[in-house]
Amino acid sequence: MPTPITSDLQENIRNFEAMFSDCEDIKKRNIKVGKELGRECYIAYIEVAASMVDWSDSGIGKLLGTLRELPENELVPYIRGNGKDYSDADPFSTLEEAAQGMLTGDILFFLEGYDKAMKIPDKGYPGMGVYQTGSEKVIRGSNEGFTESIKLNTALLRKRLRSPNLKVKESFAGRRTHTNVDLVYLKDLIQPGILEEMEKRLQEFEIDGTLDSGVIEQLTEKRKYSPFPQFQTTQRPDRAAMAILEGRIVLLSDNSPVALIFPATYNAFIQTSDDYYNRWEIASFTRILRYAASFLAMVLPGLYLAATNFHTQILPTDLLLSLAAARQGVPFPAVVEILLMELAFELLREAGVRLPGPNGNTIGIVGGLIIGQAAVDANIVSPIVVILVALTALCSFAVPSEEFATAFRLLKFLFIFLCGYLGYFGFLTGILLVLIHLSHLESFGIPYLTPFVGADINGFQDERDAFLRLPLSFLKKRPVYAREGARVRFRKKKRGKGD
Amino acid sequence: MFAENQKISPRQVRRLFLLDVFGLSSLLLPGIFSSLSGADGIFSLLFGMAASGVMLLLMHGNIKRMEGGYYAYMRECVGTLAGNLFQIFYLVYFLSLSGFVLYQTTVLVLSWLLPEGSYLGVSLLLVLLAGYGAMRGIEGRARVYEIIFWFLGIPLLAMLGLALREVDADRWAPLAASSLARIGEGGLAFSIFLLPLSGILFLKPFCSKPEKLTSCAAAAWLGAAGLNLAVYLILLGVFGTKALGALERPALTLMGMINFPGGFFNRQDVVMVSVWFFALFALLNTGVFQSGLIWKELCRSQKDRHSLPLILAFVFFLGAELFENPFLLEAYDVYQKWAALPGMAGILALLLSCGRIKAWRRARKEGRA
Repeated sequence: MPTPITSDLQENIRNFEAMFSDCEDIKKRNIKVGKELGRECYIAYIEVAASMVDWSDSGIGKLLGTLRELPENELVPYIRGNGKDYSDADPFSTLEEAAQGMLTGDILFFLEGYDKAMKIPDKGYPGMGVYQTGSEKVIRGSNEGFTESIKLNTALLRKRLRSPNLKVKESFAGRRTHTNVDLVYLKDLIQPGILEEMEKRLQEFEIDGTLDSGVIEQLTEKRKYSPFPQFQTTQRPDRAAMAILEGRIVLLSDNSPVALIFPATYNAFIQTSDDYYNRWEIASFTRILRYAASFLAMVLPGLYLAATNFHTQILPTDLLLSLAAARQGVPFPAVVEILLMELAFELLREAGVRLPGPNGNTIGIVGGLIIGQAAVDANIVSPIVVILVALTALCSFAVPSEEFATAFRLLKFLFIFLCGYLGYFGFLTGILLVLIHLSHLESFGIPYLTPFVGADINGFQDERDAFLRLPLSFLKKRPVYAREGARVRFRKKKRGKGD
Repeated sequence: MFAENQKISPRQVRRLFLLDVFGLSSLLLPGIFSSLSGADGIFSLLFGMAASGVMLLLMHGNIKRMEGGYYAYMRECVGTLAGNLFQIFYLVYFLSLSGFVLYQTTVLVLSWLLPEGSYLGVSLLLVLLAGYGAMRGIEGRARVYEIIFWFLGIPLLAMLGLALREVDADRWAPLAASSLARIGEGGLAFSIFLLPLSGILFLKPFCSKPEKLTSCAAAAWLGAAGLNLAVYLILLGVFGTKALGALERPALTLMGMINFPGGFFNRQDVVMVSVWFFALFALLNTGVFQSGLIWKELCRSQKDRHSLPLILAFVFFLGAELFENPFLLEAYDVYQKWAALPGMAGILALLLSCGRIKAWRRARKEGRA
């Protein structure tokens, strides 16, 4: 039932503020107008979408200027008669329409005695060119990225999710930096308790400064000794908006272009934005590739060691002979050889990241091609190990989340040691160790291995968006992150008789 | 939140128990069947299924009457002293099972994966892993096996499918050539391998849908029987009765013989050991976890920190002794045949009878009132 806008300004304000409670990004102001400043008006706008500093040149500024020169009894007739002089200014009769008007990025204007709300156009949402994301590149989809200003970032989310249920809860972290931290979520979708849990965790520490969301991530993680991240990170507003639509919460920290998303699962780290923008066949194929890549990034060097040092019988004789021939003259044991190459590669990666753009690329070429070739020529390593290390690196690059890939990069060394000394038994032991750890890991009450475990909780619906990404029309329900009873996200409209 | 509510789903129960009973049985049963009754092992399997089916019915009857945990139910039915004795009986069963499975897993690793490894070293590593798994609680344990279920199942089914090419159906004959006693003995052996299913009795407080516990156990029972039947028929068709009886772990020998079409990989036995390794580890983990649970209930303390290290130490010691002392292996065999199997059946029948008598008396009393 729509809420009508009445001529009683206080009632309109009450209704409007109830609708937009817990929305710190929406600014609301009471202003006096009329010659004697005796009439009250009320304006509301999304912080970044309206000109904040100087209104004199904007539509709202001109309107307020005019209203301050008119006697009070002429204010309402003026608005009624001349409102449309402002291009694209629309009067609304219900609060819901007015709210949608404001959420398109314009300013909402209420006047005492006027039974409508007026939408006054302003500069609107920040657009492309705000910031382009450096990581998480996609083939199809928006290229907009988060900026270092939290206000812009909330506006980028609001731009995508124009719903009064999108809430922005503001708090501060860092005793000296007093950094703004916003929790953005859809009120009707989040699981009860998760928001409160995060607020509690934010209150549990006091620190000098939180200069990046990474600090908050580490301080609020429950399992501090796990190599696996318990928050998903993104620099893409569309990814964050997608997460909010799934019933998850996004944490934005001022001065950081990286948003934290929680709860997070293994599956969520493997998903990318364009999984949903591309057709399901290719999305599923690349998803399977990424799953395989995450596994191989961890175990490939270890498996090579197990096969060549312990269980040569599984390899065809020709391959075995060529491997042995390639290793001839290499003075190190295979474990040392692999470790040397892996460490050299990690060094190259680190150097490439620290150096400025073009130099970083050069280091990649110099390291990969020249040093690799030289090392093979000098019989320090065998060619197969160079191929193997390069393949492992490719696998780790194919994992969409850098933080998540880091876990596999580190665990790779554990597998090298286990397989180097125990062969395939070491591999099995390592797999068990990782599986037991992952099976116990959770992020805000959601098991990390969802939906491969506990899929029955959501009627096995989440499995439709796991290894495979089934056609969008099959993904009828939101994942398990969303509140029970609010999980339907897609349904076909019933056709009318006339259709 | 449901991540740590100490409840597991029926799917998890099903998969966990199927792995629990499949691993050890498929590894050892074909040799036992073949040496006892040759091709009539099929009848042994059916007989064993029927016997364990009766056990399942007894379990079902008791689970239906249970209101809380199994320990409380036992004490309610037969009094505190007998309840405690029965609980100790189960503790001994699961502890000895853990020791035996540890021994089998270690021998499997040493025979197929690490021939030059040290028994104690491998055994210690496995015990520590089992302890780590048990520390993570029932949910963690169930999730591990829910995840790897198909990763093990698909390669196994594929390999069994490929092995069909090697099967000579003539080797399934002669049928009905063994004595009933030998068939019965094989059947009892199969029932013994299915005894870990009694773990469902303790799972009522941990299952999100306790009313489905028996159907989960029945699914595991059917699944294990079906798989064992398939494995046995294939092994019999490939090796014949005599060779099968002489092989120690024929299923793994078979895995070493199957070639993938295209012939890239020479032998898959090393890779396929993982199926039995994970299945045996699941049973070891179940044994350790269940022992811990029973111990804690006996001590009436949920926060007992010493039970797990003590259990692990005992399991490690027993595993080492089973390796060193062949007499202990025989003793374990006798214990399973003459104490564990009849004991469990007896306890279940007694509890059911006592429960029924008590319910009947209560109903009569209420009727009088």
